[in-house]
Amino acid sequence: MFEFAKKIINFFYREYKLNLSGFHDILTNITFFFISIFIFIFSIGPDNETLSKLAVGIVWTLLLLSSTLSLRKFYKDDFDSHNLLILHLHGMSFEFIAILKTISHFIYVQIPFLVSIPIACIILNISFDKVYNLLLSFVLGSLILSCLGSISASMNLLNQRNYLLGSVIVMIFSIPVIIFSIGIINLEESFNSLINILIGILLILFSVNPWASGACIKLALQNN
Amino acid sequence: MKFLINPYKFNNFSDTLIKPLLYLSVIFLFLGLIFSFYFSPNDYQQGSTVRIMYVHVPSAWLSLMTYFIMSIYSILALAFRMPFGYIVNSAVAPIGATFTLICIISGSLWGKPMWGTWWVWDARLTSVAVLFVVYLIIIFINLSFENRIVREKVTAIFILIGSINLPIVKFSVDWWNTLHQPATISKLSKPSIDPSMMVPLILMTFAFVFIGICIAIFRIKTEIHNRKNNL
Amino acid sequence: MLILQNVSLNRLNTKIFENISFTLGSGRVLILKGKNGSGKTSLIKTILYLLEPSSGSIYWKGKILPKTIYDFYNNITYIGDRPTSLKQLTIEENIKIWKKISISKIDYEKIRNVLTILKLNNYKNKKVSTLSLGEIKKLELLRLIIENKKYWLLDEPFTNLDLDSIDIIRQTFEEHCKNEGSVLFSSHQDIKFSKYEEIKL
Repeated sequence: MFEFAKKIINFFYREYKLNLSGFHDILTNITFFFISIFIFIFSIGPDNETLSKLAVGIVWTLLLLSSTLSLRKFYKDDFDSHNLLILHLHGMSFEFIAILKTISHFIYVQIPFLVSIPIACIILNISFDKVYNLLLSFVLGSLILSCLGSISASMNLLNQRNYLLGSVIVMIFSIPVIIFSIGIINLEESFNSLINILIGILLILFSVNPWASGACIKLALQNN
Repeated sequence: MKFLINPYKFNNFSDTLIKPLLYLSVIFLFLGLIFSFYFSPNDYQQGSTVRIMYVHVPSAWLSLMTYFIMSIYSILALAFRMPFGYIVNSAVAPIGATFTLICIISGSLWGKPMWGTWWVWDARLTSVAVLFVVYLIIIFINLSFENRIVREKVTAIFILIGSINLPIVKFSVDWWNTLHQPATISKLSKPSIDPSMMVPLILMTFAFVFIGICIAIFRIKTEIHNRKNNL
Repeated sequence: MLILQNVSLNRLNTKIFENISFTLGSGRVLILKGKNGSGKTSLIKTILYLLEPSSGSIYWKGKILPKTIYDFYNNITYIGDRPTSLKQLTIEENIKIWKKISISKIDYEKIRNVLTILKLNNYKNKKVSTLSLGEIKKLELLRLIIENKKYWLLDEPFTNLDLDSIDIIRQTFEEHCKNEGSVLFSSHQDIKFSKYEEIKL
């Protein structure tokens, strides 16, 4: 039991080392996010009223797009270097590896985006009482996106030709997430019901994710 | 009923089945077209455009039905290790996509004179559009993997995850207030449609079902042949 | 004690290998020999139970394999044909990560000795991406020492290595066999051991 906890801690140490050396990738993602906000502002026009109407939608769409950009790295590097197999041989089932990878993706890739949201809110003239809701919806939504990303990244491990397919799979299933998250932000009071729906989606995906991702990782390792 | 899960029995059984099915589909299509164009009345509000319904409704039903069949075969293939499920999945997906496309196009042609727009973003229309994209992704997955084992299993897993969309499509008219009208024909209650319109609708539905089954049989037989020869 | 009994594997209606039986006990060296595409890697994957054998069975300590799979994994070190070292980190960081992941209690002095023997000591603070292919392979073989398990499974361990390094590794294998360990590896080169068995695929 103690050894198992140690294994988990060591896994996160390894992920920390990996992501620290590739931190410029995440910074590039955040830069992509901000540059696309600028482009949006230039294409709509810098009128403050229309901007603040569209702002929340813009922020969420661009967050979704820029978090799908990092999906190719989700399992691909570890899979190509056989590290997933080595982790499995050290006594972790594929399902457990999927759970740990999802959590580490949330911590090391999605959390840095949380810092950038308030800055984006200032640029886009979103009123500050909405920022709290936006952050709340993004925490829940990005956990859901991590689960979806894990599923689609593991599906596309052996897909050498069609790299965009993973992003398409994530985006088609993130439609309900977007609908409910935007609902949370625009409701003034009593958004509890929408939060409950989001948590429900999260729990469903969190239970489906290890099963689907684990099966796909095993399949890819078998046929590689 | 073994022929539904065994490729060899399916191959033999479909040989005897295909000819009557072809005749039936031609007869039903012929009868259905005659009924829908000559023996059914104009709607008192919609005029002659109501005849679009005889294409729109059957294709909508069949697009859902095809996905339902695919998800059942995915469960059979993944849980009970029946490889015939993978064959059906890869053969049937383009048929379902075509039905969905027919449904969307005929619906927007119907919507222009009735609602005044080609497209509105209400729940039913959006969920059907999502269904179409899901079908497209299934086809893309089938095209983009080199390895057959990986391809078929990934497709089955994706179909199962995508089947969340099915109840949303079916019940979207009941759950949300939509511009699209709720279902007129259901099992539990008496249909709120006149028999003179009901007859061509049912004829056309049978015609669509038989055409779909014929194409599916041809595609499944091709797939079985390809697998036998490791193509 | 690993026993394979009449194991054969079919994939996509083609047979890959048939009726392989051998016993891997302590103090033994087994060499898998075969041409390219004869199924050496598939056999190793079958032993790791990534691929299920289509007939025959594999026994570990007298029990059939999938039941005792994690105990089996606990006793082997597998080194594949691809380097598992992380390219963007230095050699020392990689060793630290390997030590942590396998929870090995080996002391650092021993690893340093091996590094000097393998002539990697000068590169300790260099990133793996700057090393040559042979050096990366040697670094990979260091995992055998770090994980400190009884059974070694290796897939083509001698590719990209020069003659001196091959000799060092051959000696390591023999020493490991003297300490009741056992080695199974696939190769198409001829390597002279004092006592070994060959399996032809």
